[in-house]
Amino acid sequence: MQLTNNPCIYTFNGSFEGFLTVVFRAFDDKRMPESIVSRAAQAQLPLGEMVHVETCNDQAARVCAGIVERSDQRNLRLFHVAFLAESAETNMLLWRYLQHLFRDNCREYYRNMLDEEVYALIQTARQVRREAHRFQGFVRFQRTRDNMYVAAIDPDHNVLKLLSAHFRSRFPDRHWLVYDTRRQYGIYYDKKSVQEVRMEAKPFNLNTGYIQKQARSMDEDYYRTLWQHYYDAINIAERKNHRQMRGSMPRRYWKYLPERSGK
Amino acid sequence: MKDKVLHKLNILADAAKYDVSCSSSGSSRSSKGGVGNAKSAGVCHAFTEDGRCISLLKILYTNYCIYDCAYCVNRQSNDKRRASFTPDELADLTINFYRRNYIEGLFLSSGVMRSPDYTMEQLNAVARKLRKEYRFNGYIHMKSIPGADPLLVHEAGLLADRLSVNIEIPTEIQLQVLAPEKDFFSVFTPMNQISLGVMESKAERRKSRKAPRFVPAGQSTQLIVGASPETDYTILKLASGLYHQQRLKRVYYSGFVPVNQHDNRLPVIQKPPLVRENRLYQADWLMRFYHFSYDEILDEQNTQLDEHMDPKLAWALRNPHFFPIDLDRASYETILRVPGIGVRSAKIIVANRQYGRITFSHLKRMGVALNRAKYFILCRELPAATTAFYPEQIRRRLVKGSQDAGRQLSLKFEV
Repeated sequence: MQLTNNPCIYTFNGSFEGFLTVVFRAFDDKRMPESIVSRAAQAQLPLGEMVHVETCNDQAARVCAGIVERSDQRNLRLFHVAFLAESAETNMLLWRYLQHLFRDNCREYYRNMLDEEVYALIQTARQVRREAHRFQGFVRFQRTRDNMYVAAIDPDHNVLKLLSAHFRSRFPDRHWLVYDTRRQYGIYYDKKSVQEVRMEAKPFNLNTGYIQKQARSMDEDYYRTLWQHYYDAINIAERKNHRQMRGSMPRRYWKYLPERSGK
Repeated sequence: MKDKVLHKLNILADAAKYDVSCSSSGSSRSSKGGVGNAKSAGVCHAFTEDGRCISLLKILYTNYCIYDCAYCVNRQSNDKRRASFTPDELADLTINFYRRNYIEGLFLSSGVMRSPDYTMEQLNAVARKLRKEYRFNGYIHMKSIPGADPLLVHEAGLLADRLSVNIEIPTEIQLQVLAPEKDFFSVFTPMNQISLGVMESKAERRKSRKAPRFVPAGQSTQLIVGASPETDYTILKLASGLYHQQRLKRVYYSGFVPVNQHDNRLPVIQKPPLVRENRLYQADWLMRFYHFSYDEILDEQNTQLDEHMDPKLAWALRNPHFFPIDLDRASYETILRVPGIGVRSAKIIVANRQYGRITFSHLKRMGVALNRAKYFILCRELPAATTAFYPEQIRRRLVKGSQDAGRQLSLKFEV
């Protein structure tokens, strides 16, 4: 397939399906995207012809099926994970990658880590997975008065989707909510299934991640205090190594971690 | 009541902090009908200012102790604040920390109160409460108290994911000097019982899925480094034996921190031997992931690890005949021996060399430390003169500037 030489900027709603629809459209239009950005991010863009693509689940599904057919399920997964990095560069990387896969039909291409762009994609997916893994640890739940467990997070990548299976199998017997304050949506579990939710009111203090005092359970502050004391008591002062601590638990994550707040 | 728990927590966490193990990996449990699961990969929940990870609530049941080991902060003759939890308090603390996702589980250790049996029974009571009453399926690591009845150890093994017995002092003669009430017999008896139990349980579970799990995450131990005069060679030889005979999952090395008033059985040191501890961990990694045996890393003539370079580089410089390695052809095990190439990059190299010749820029992207690796690999991008192998010259180049004190983990290498 030959793509004509009148590039444009595609915008979409930010979802994975939306992105795949853009891919479908670009192939269909035979146009080379200059950039693919979510509508939320378009304000920072240089000028150019913009085309907004409405998400179409059917078209997205066809692209998915094409990816699996030309590579495998694992590769589709890798692709999705890398997409969660939510950067315009990654989007273009994914686009060029798909071009290779569909247009050049090179079946072995996606396995070749010696290729710079394939490697970059794998690296991006690794970074996203790494952050998701970190947040399996860095989520801090607070118990509410009605016995629900809620937590605020502010990750660099859109990792919520990668966390839901973990928390679901860990806490199957309680209602819980993990809320991404930057992207303003959360995953909520009601002892049956996990759903994505958006909230009108802002339940979390954006500086501390705490919910309001009257919403907290009676014992919440007590256990948090115990945890803060534990954190300080388990440290060995003679072995202080702040550099290593910051490497493993970067400063940008501290604001919602009660054991680091105010340090 | 609440203040009492806070008070105990402060004392008993502080008293537990010198045990270095914290890993929560190697087990898998599902939350079937209860709360919590154990993941085979392990999760870190926080990092303390000393750079160590908090995965488990690491705590002592009590810091009362009938023993008087010279190196231990909880020894009987120390004038310290003492406290004991009750099983109820500890189970409640664990479950509430766990529900808030502060921790991955519990690491329960203890001073020896009244008798080894009594103490072990208390630890079991905590684990039993968590598993049976709270239906807690998160990770539990328990200390097996040396000298406790085998039946109690067996029960602990059925409740916990991991058991550990600390050897602490690497030779029995030194152990007898520093901990007169202990001997190797009291340490190795439970250790052997556990390793046997693990093997039996695995065999049983092959026959029937319903057979109970016994210590599914295996056992570990800890050695204190620098409190007694053993060489690194002695320590690695012991560790290697523990990995092969007792099938331990991990041996931890803890640089000696003088915690007590001076005792003339112990050396006087200014700072804990952190570099030495780090080198031992690197050597341990070589044994576990890089197919090295302990007597390749050190031998009767070279008994101490070089503080100025990692043990793999030191091995490479002692074995120039092994190099250079051709990355396009060499086996995975051979590539693993190249300084600067790790497990991940070695795997990538082997899986991808079919697509083309591996170049420097590929290696760089994979995260290979080229400043070290370049001396040991065959590469068409380098002039032949550069690749001639002169160990002394390489040593000088790589180790120069390494006296950058204060940074324990990264030596600076000249590029």
